[in-house]
Amino acid sequence: MNVRQSFPDRPAPAPARALRQSMAWIHAWLGLLAGWILFAMFLTGTASYFRPEITQWMQPELRSASVPAEQAAQAAIGHLQATTPGDQQWFIYLPDDRTAVTRVFARAKPNPEKPPARRPEMKLDPATGQPLEARDTRGGEHFYRFHFQLQLPHPWGRWLAGVCAIFMLTAIISGVITHKRIFVDFFTLRWSKGQRSWLDAHNASAVLALPFHAMITYTGLITLVAMYMPWPVKANFDKPDAFTTAAYGAPAEAKASGNPAPLLPVTPMIEAAAREWNGDRPRTIVIRNPNDAAATVTLLRATAGRLNARPDSITFSGVTGKELSRSPSPGPAIATAGVMLGLHLGHFAGPALRWVYFFMGLTGAAMVGTGLVLWVVKRRKPNAAPFFGLKLVERLNIGAIACLPTGMAAYLLANRLIPADLPGRAELEVKAMFWTWFGLAILSLLRPARRAWIETLGLAAIAFAALPVVNALTTDRGLIGSLRAGDGLFAGFDLAMLAIAALCGFAALKASAKPKPPKQKAAPSHRPSASVSKPAKVRENADAL
Amino acid sequence: MKQDRQSRRTAAWPDAARMTARAVTALFGGYASASALASLLARLLPGPPAEASAWGMILSFLIFACLALWAFHERRLILVAGVLWGSALLAGGAVLLLGTRA
Repeated sequence: MNVRQSFPDRPAPAPARALRQSMAWIHAWLGLLAGWILFAMFLTGTASYFRPEITQWMQPELRSASVPAEQAAQAAIGHLQATTPGDQQWFIYLPDDRTAVTRVFARAKPNPEKPPARRPEMKLDPATGQPLEARDTRGGEHFYRFHFQLQLPHPWGRWLAGVCAIFMLTAIISGVITHKRIFVDFFTLRWSKGQRSWLDAHNASAVLALPFHAMITYTGLITLVAMYMPWPVKANFDKPDAFTTAAYGAPAEAKASGNPAPLLPVTPMIEAAAREWNGDRPRTIVIRNPNDAAATVTLLRATAGRLNARPDSITFSGVTGKELSRSPSPGPAIATAGVMLGLHLGHFAGPALRWVYFFMGLTGAAMVGTGLVLWVVKRRKPNAAPFFGLKLVERLNIGAIACLPTGMAAYLLANRLIPADLPGRAELEVKAMFWTWFGLAILSLLRPARRAWIETLGLAAIAFAALPVVNALTTDRGLIGSLRAGDGLFAGFDLAMLAIAALCGFAALKASAKPKPPKQKAAPSHRPSASVSKPAKVRENADAL
Repeated sequence: MKQDRQSRRTAAWPDAARMTARAVTALFGGYASASALASLLARLLPGPPAEASAWGMILSFLIFACLALWAFHERRLILVAGVLWGSALLAGGAVLLLGTRA
């Protein structure tokens, strides 16, 4: 479909057809312009449903031990009291059944003469509070951050991700309008029929998970709504802080009094909060002005198992143990936004639902990927040299769809291959992903497009299949040992890598299969448009895409 | 048909310019209009201001998506530009005149 022919100068057809036609046109262009970034966002975002598990896999030195929240909190406070008792604020992130360590971050008192050096976050043994040594890595956090920051400087990555998300939303709406036979095509997947198969695959992956795709796109925009759409807040509030206070409660911001006072144990506070929270424990503890008469202890409720991802909070006096304040119970709109955030993050999901999220996310990547391929297949004329735009899109498709998985595998491989004590290794792991991804995309230019598809997909299969092998050779937590020890996380991770390798291998195999000539047995209206009269062609465009 | 194609070739640049103007209007005009309409909604909805602001924020992306799609559906560019930029100015002006609530 040529832009100029089909868009501004088209004849005026019946309204319903005109709507489908303009929607088909905009759907193809929105999907194309944002498709490559959306594919990467879908793939890394899908991986992020296992963010804590990836982090655990990337620090094989650490083994999780389940410790009650009270014990982990008290152990962490014991360590902080021994090292930096005079700080302004302590942040304690407690472990849960998906994380192995307690993380603490301590902020020193502001010193006007000499700003203190930025202190790194520390990992502590949940049971003893002793610092843990493990290889430096960004873990699953890297995929998660890339998913909405795209490795670009703040705030540009987030804005670009937001533009792609609104493109996705409009592409979904226009795709649904275009696609009038939504329930028929739900059951239609014709393999090995060239363009028709790509369209079927695009429709099947889109329709199958349409509610998920629409939900994940809209809620994705909501996760950063304060940045993308601050204006409705500005319309009502002079200061954005006033909105935050009205919606989520006032943050504990008391100044230190200067009078020392012992900090009470947190266990009774955790128990008091648990009574308010149907037995839920806190996930995060913020202690302000420890060992001061104005000390406060804020507990933030764990959101696992709760749909609303905005945690409730209760603030206690650290000296008297009295409750000082708590977050207000949210109104319908604030609760809706919190639930949307929760639906996107999926923290509430248990293991089974998390896998559903994972597969739905993969259908999203499949939908975007097949849509991108379809754009090329649809415009390729048999026996004609492809025009420049077509070649460009095909090459970008190879670079985005076939080369990114290998880049992600390289990130994980680098974790095992870079020496555990090398300085700056965390950045090297990240670099390994991007050098592999973009390097491979450039190398693939040397090969004819069809060979490039086959070879890059095959390489992805090899890279993922290599992960369990390299893991077994470089750690004592290989697949067989993990299975014997009943280590579900490590065994599951290795098996998942093998499954992904099989998927990439299958894709490479499919790419190498000779496509059947589309003329045979194809329905007349779907024949390549070489000699089709204009009205029939218009109809095909309106129906097909 | 033949004449059509000829006029199109000579008018290639204005077509590209019109398409650029349409895309810019859809993206930026659509955002401006959605922001202004969502803000006006937030300002006018009864009830607690924080709730009203949250409804405005939640609905803003749906408004934006519908406006942007309409900008590509409607053939008259002047109408598209008028509605999008005009509603942004009117609704935005109304929000400024009304002032904040808290």
